[in-house]
Amino acid sequence: MENIRYDLITALPEIILLGMAMLVLITDLFLKQSNRIAIYGLSQLGLLLAAYFTVTTHVPSVGYAFTGAFVDDAMSDVLKLMIYVGTSLIFVYTRQYIQLRNMFRGEFYALVLFSVVGMMIMVSGQSMLTLYVGLELLSLSLYALVALDRDNHFATEAAMKYFVLGALASGMLLYGMSMIYGMTGSLNISDINHVLMNGSGIHAVLVLGLVFIVAGLAFKLGAVPFQMWVPDVYEGSPTAVTMLISSVPKLAAFAFVIRLLAQSLQTMAIDWQQMLLIMAVLSIVLGNVTAIAQTNLKRMLAYSTISHVGFVLLGLMSASGNGYISALFYIASYVVMTLAGFGIILLLSRKGFEAQNLSDLKGLNQRSPWVAFLMLIVMFSMAGIPPTLGFYAKFAVLQAALQAGFLWVVVFAVLMAVIGAFYYLRVIKLMYFDEPEDNSPITAPFDMRVILSMNALALLAIGIMPQGLMTICFYAISRSLS
Amino acid sequence: MTFFGLHFQDIVFYTLATILLIAGLRVITTRNPVYAALYLVLAFFTAAGIWLLLEAEFLAIALVLVYVGAVMVLFLFVVMMLDINLDKLREGFWKALPIALPVGGLMAVEMVMIVGARNFGADVVPAPAAHPADYSNTAELGRVLYTDYLLPFELASVVLLVAIVAAIALTLRDRKDSKSMDPAKQVLVKKADRLRIVKMEAEVEKNDVVDTSAQADDKGAK
Amino acid sequence: MLENYFPILLFILVGLAVGVGPLILSKLVSPSRPDSAKNSPYECGFEAFEDARMKFDVRYYLVAILFILFDLEIAFLFPWAVVLQEIGLFGFLAMMVFLGVLVIGFIYEWMKGALEWD
Repeated sequence: MENIRYDLITALPEIILLGMAMLVLITDLFLKQSNRIAIYGLSQLGLLLAAYFTVTTHVPSVGYAFTGAFVDDAMSDVLKLMIYVGTSLIFVYTRQYIQLRNMFRGEFYALVLFSVVGMMIMVSGQSMLTLYVGLELLSLSLYALVALDRDNHFATEAAMKYFVLGALASGMLLYGMSMIYGMTGSLNISDINHVLMNGSGIHAVLVLGLVFIVAGLAFKLGAVPFQMWVPDVYEGSPTAVTMLISSVPKLAAFAFVIRLLAQSLQTMAIDWQQMLLIMAVLSIVLGNVTAIAQTNLKRMLAYSTISHVGFVLLGLMSASGNGYISALFYIASYVVMTLAGFGIILLLSRKGFEAQNLSDLKGLNQRSPWVAFLMLIVMFSMAGIPPTLGFYAKFAVLQAALQAGFLWVVVFAVLMAVIGAFYYLRVIKLMYFDEPEDNSPITAPFDMRVILSMNALALLAIGIMPQGLMTICFYAISRSLS
Repeated sequence: MTFFGLHFQDIVFYTLATILLIAGLRVITTRNPVYAALYLVLAFFTAAGIWLLLEAEFLAIALVLVYVGAVMVLFLFVVMMLDINLDKLREGFWKALPIALPVGGLMAVEMVMIVGARNFGADVVPAPAAHPADYSNTAELGRVLYTDYLLPFELASVVLLVAIVAAIALTLRDRKDSKSMDPAKQVLVKKADRLRIVKMEAEVEKNDVVDTSAQADDKGAK
Repeated sequence: MLENYFPILLFILVGLAVGVGPLILSKLVSPSRPDSAKNSPYECGFEAFEDARMKFDVRYYLVAILFILFDLEIAFLFPWAVVLQEIGLFGFLAMMVFLGVLVIGFIYEWMKGALEWD
């Protein structure tokens, strides 16, 4: 209560973005259709201001605000900056798509900004209550975004599935948290850790809580065996929303896992390591094998996401500093890849036409060699072929797992990655060696073309020189986890 | 005050707990969704009673006010009005049962083993001291909710805001078939809004075509 | 402190007895000879045209949902009102921020025409 000035400064980026979301919501009501573009500008401005204040208020030490419910450390700042950049790219890529589909409304931008606030709270939450409220803020905004295109029956069905399973996952998470609270008497992440360090609490009850927490987290991450919503929701949602769901929230989910498992339940690492190991292996298998059978591009990317989540879990499972750093590196690379991939799908869509089948990519090289080349980089990166970013990310994760002594898991994951390369390469074959089925020109705003090109080329550039991103990830983890 | 070795509070607890369990079971087994919703109301009521026994009065009242008073009424409203095909809902029940029953049973057994008396019995977790009659649970809640838990509290308002936006964005639409009129708009209407004056060449009847061309020729000649 | 709730428990029990008692009594005492004509729904002497359930305008739900949201907000006001003396200006401002956010929602709702019925 006394430090309210410090609290407010620490949470300034969140407050600014929240204010901007509300401003967008209200401004939209007074704008004419022709001036609507202003809300796009306001949203981007909000992200920029939040980024500015995140950078200027950054200190390398760990600071707690709101009586320990909120933390400002290097990891939260780094992840928040990644979230701003990712969301900003999403705004750029989706602008034309939603304009053509009658979704260019204040609600879209306000809900995306609210979901970003939710992610930031998840990243900075230091109490289970804060983390949970942040998660709900994110989830609720996403459910509404999926269903925003109201006359689209697929989207409505996807929203329904997403909502029901998401609510179930939240319930499990809460039940697990209540068990941990019952045993430790605290909701605070560091307090729980202290209590558990002293060896109090009944182990069986803690494990029960842990199981429910891990199951809830797996639901939200989309890891096998809790993955069933992922393909349906990816396929049914408007591509603009699929892009959002599949990208930046994973960064927040990563922080969520780190806060809960690595920080508060650190002493139970042996227990959650096994759970994550099983989920990682299953996710990598199911993601890669099932993706081969898909003809729908969005579904294929959904299964690809599941396998990527498996690799992230592999990094987290190592339960070591190196493991967390490699997992953070992997998830950041994944976001860059996914944004570029869905950006190209949005680029190929036009009024009344959704590019979502693999056959829509046929002969892309003849229609536009440059776009085909960008897609080639994205596919190479997702498959993990050097010298792209995806290769280095997989390499880092597998190295960390190897250091932790999981030799056979690593061999197995490499094998599965090779199988997975098949369906990425099939996309490349379709683009370069098949005849195009439709020859309509690819139209997109200039800024989207430029930024999308830079995004895809970044996969190549960071892949060749990964030290920069690696240093950032190292900084984020080493400064935040003791 | 004891009956057969049970405290009066225990009797109340076991009565409420039994009703709660039966009501909960009926929610998922009853055929008619309206009855299911009513059983859920009963479950909420008895749960509120149990919370009251735990001296969580404010939450008990809030449960009745918010859930029974508002949420369940909406629920009942939806269930009663909607044209639900009951047989379709029950399809696959027997097919899923052989898998669902062992999984559910296993979870129940695990939970009873862990959450049961061995870890949470009265000898392990002593009952907290009873509070005096003027103790206010609501005040205790208020003391921390707006100070220590300020951040989650304010975030709750944002969650509610998102719910408002989502509810309106997903359900509100302009009705095409609405015949109502807005008098303000009617009064404000100007001539320019309704009447469009189009400048155009003078129409000439078709059967005069020959004549006009002749006139044109004449003009050209002049 | 639970003793204070004993009258309420008694009240609920008496209320239940008054409500349930006549039902049971009528079940036991009154003659019951149903036949198909007696059990069929009565609609002014006609055969029933259709099921009573039908598609309903979604705006009824919208009003109900908006009511629930503000009902929840009210639930937060009670503990606040009880301890306002103790938590002072800080608590007052905390609630004002909370209400301010919801006022934004209210303005949005109003301007969107969600409260209108035409």
